[in-house]
Amino acid sequence: MKKIYLIISREFLERVRKKSFIIVTLLMPLFMIGIMVAPSLMMLYGTSDQKQVVVIDRSGRIADKLTSSAEILFVPEREMSKAEACNIYNEESGIFGVLYIGSDVEARDSVQLITNSSSSMMLEENIASQISAIVEHDKLLAYNIENLDEILSSVETHIELSTYLNDGTGEEETMESTSSGISYALGMILGMLLYMVIILYGQMVLTSVVEEKASRVIDVMVTSCSPFQLMMGKILGIAAVALTQIAIWALLIIAASKWLIPAVFSAEVTATNDAMMQALVGTLGDTGYIATLFAYVTLFILGGFLLYASLYAASGSAVDSVQDGQQFNTIIMLPIILSIIVMMSVFNDPNSPMAFWASMIPFTSPIVMIARIPFGIATWEIIVSLVALYLTFVFTTWLAAKIFRVGIFMHGKRPSWRELGQWIREK
Amino acid sequence: MDAILKVENVTKSYTGHKALDDVSLEVPRGAVYGLLGPNGAGKTTLIRVINRITLADSGRVLLDGKPLTESDVFHIGYMPEERGLYKKMRVGEQAIFFARLKGLGRREAESRLKGWFERLSIADWWERKVEDLSKGMAQKVQFISTVVHEPKLLIFDEPFSGFDPINANLLKEEILGLRDRGATIIFSTHNMASVEEICDHITLINKSHNILSGSVEEIRRSAGGNNFEVTHRADDAELAAALGSLAIVVGESHGIVGGYRQTNIHIRRDEDVRAVIAALNDRCELRSLREMMPSMNDIFIRAVNGTL
Repeated sequence: MKKIYLIISREFLERVRKKSFIIVTLLMPLFMIGIMVAPSLMMLYGTSDQKQVVVIDRSGRIADKLTSSAEILFVPEREMSKAEACNIYNEESGIFGVLYIGSDVEARDSVQLITNSSSSMMLEENIASQISAIVEHDKLLAYNIENLDEILSSVETHIELSTYLNDGTGEEETMESTSSGISYALGMILGMLLYMVIILYGQMVLTSVVEEKASRVIDVMVTSCSPFQLMMGKILGIAAVALTQIAIWALLIIAASKWLIPAVFSAEVTATNDAMMQALVGTLGDTGYIATLFAYVTLFILGGFLLYASLYAASGSAVDSVQDGQQFNTIIMLPIILSIIVMMSVFNDPNSPMAFWASMIPFTSPIVMIARIPFGIATWEIIVSLVALYLTFVFTTWLAAKIFRVGIFMHGKRPSWRELGQWIREK
Repeated sequence: MDAILKVENVTKSYTGHKALDDVSLEVPRGAVYGLLGPNGAGKTTLIRVINRITLADSGRVLLDGKPLTESDVFHIGYMPEERGLYKKMRVGEQAIFFARLKGLGRREAESRLKGWFERLSIADWWERKVEDLSKGMAQKVQFISTVVHEPKLLIFDEPFSGFDPINANLLKEEILGLRDRGATIIFSTHNMASVEEICDHITLINKSHNILSGSVEEIRRSAGGNNFEVTHRADDAELAAALGSLAIVVGESHGIVGGYRQTNIHIRRDEDVRAVIAALNDRCELRSLREMMPSMNDIFIRAVNGTL
């Protein structure tokens, strides 16, 4: 045990003392925030110049009522035929395109957008919805209703749906408020975090074993400790690095949940009626919930990492270079990628049979289960999943140790699957 | 003989070739034991078999008369030919890590290491990173890491390669010092000068076979084949007559020092040496008789070429 401890602390200190570790640990949260904020920023600033669209309106009902905006400027052209317009307003003209509206707007293929360069979904959506609204409004006018505009604005309605988890009382004060939007976001972030940790740190185990083999330190190591001690020391040392990193992130987020979120948002948010925003602040501001969530995340990350790290260690031991490791790497990646695919479907129905079983079977369970937890999962399911995960970890480690013990002494040819099988059967 | 380590009929094949073929040897306790042989003869494979890094196909290795186990290996000090140190670690920290892995406590390790670093005059490298060291420097660090826990059996694979003559000498002194303090040392080399100077026993491995084993003294004597140089006052005819059938004159007399001639003779039978001395003493004014022992270098080349 003392030897394993020595190896763990060596592996741990070597990595944690690196400048890159400190930088990544502090920059990653900023990077994550960046990823979340970037799409909306791009929406705000991403659109290019205003696009000019020439409108040929044979129906005579639409062109004047189209509203130009920052993105799109409608230019009605009364005198031209479609062919003439297309001829004149070609690519060199600087005009984005021609919008042709036939005399019967609702007929098939009657509204056409003929562009000089590729258009965007947003722009097409904008044009189609404007024309639909204009036609709808014209139809309503045909009923000759008095005060039509007043009536229309008075009937406009927007309903908020509040969701709670049933606790048997039916009292809003005691029931936990839920939000599938928040659960979705949390599940997504946590699932991705697990995916990242397993891949990044798992490969770190592989690289570390291969490097040790290449630099021949391994000869000195295995005459000082058993191969099993060496393998476990490496895996646990790197696990300690991963947990340290996550612990730092957790502390940052818990601190934010306790002080930053209430301080910044409480006043404004209670004033707004945005249920989503309230739920978000509610969830992130609930320090107890965040702490429990992190406890689960830690258990699943540790289990998932240990399970995969032992496989990575075994494949690292069997090869001479990281490139040669790719063959095994691909196989190890398959269940991880599968987990991500299943995770996506979990968001549609967190309790579907597929989601349930994928979160029970150890190879996919860490990522899928952690994506389900924010939706509210029975505790027994979580416990069963964890037990299965850790039992499988013991099994894969035993298997990996057998390959590792033979593999680290092999140099030269990359072993075949059949040879790996022989190594496992060897006494 | 009290053997600390016995290798019995060890055979090891890799795909396509035999690295060791039925190799046996015995290492006496307290000896400096040289494993000699041309490149690719199987020295390193033998060392790796002894260290259980490679498992032999057949045969066995005994330590103190008992089959060698994994935990026995942990007490051996082993310096591989291809030196392995963690490049990113600091020298001192790394030495302490290896020493603790071999069972020393942190304080004990540190104080012993500091002593060794002073002795080999590398104390000011303590805080440097391994990747900044030259090959020879790294080798000193590795040497210290190998011996610091004072194992009773030490194995060095090519310890002198990569050292300049001054440092090679320093290393020799240290190896002899370790032996004087009770350790048994096995090392492989093809540096014959170092063998004559420090080895008590050797095994010569060629083409996967043990072709010569024994104490250096005996091997040189038997390879010498009863050749002697006599210093005397007789001429060649008188000398030949005095020797009679006991010995023959080899070549012509050479070197005349202060009226004495020097001649090489070959005595046919070991037990006739005293009779030869008596005969020469009577009739040729014998001044000295010196056994001519071949150098290990000659023996090595002759053994490898099969002309020993």
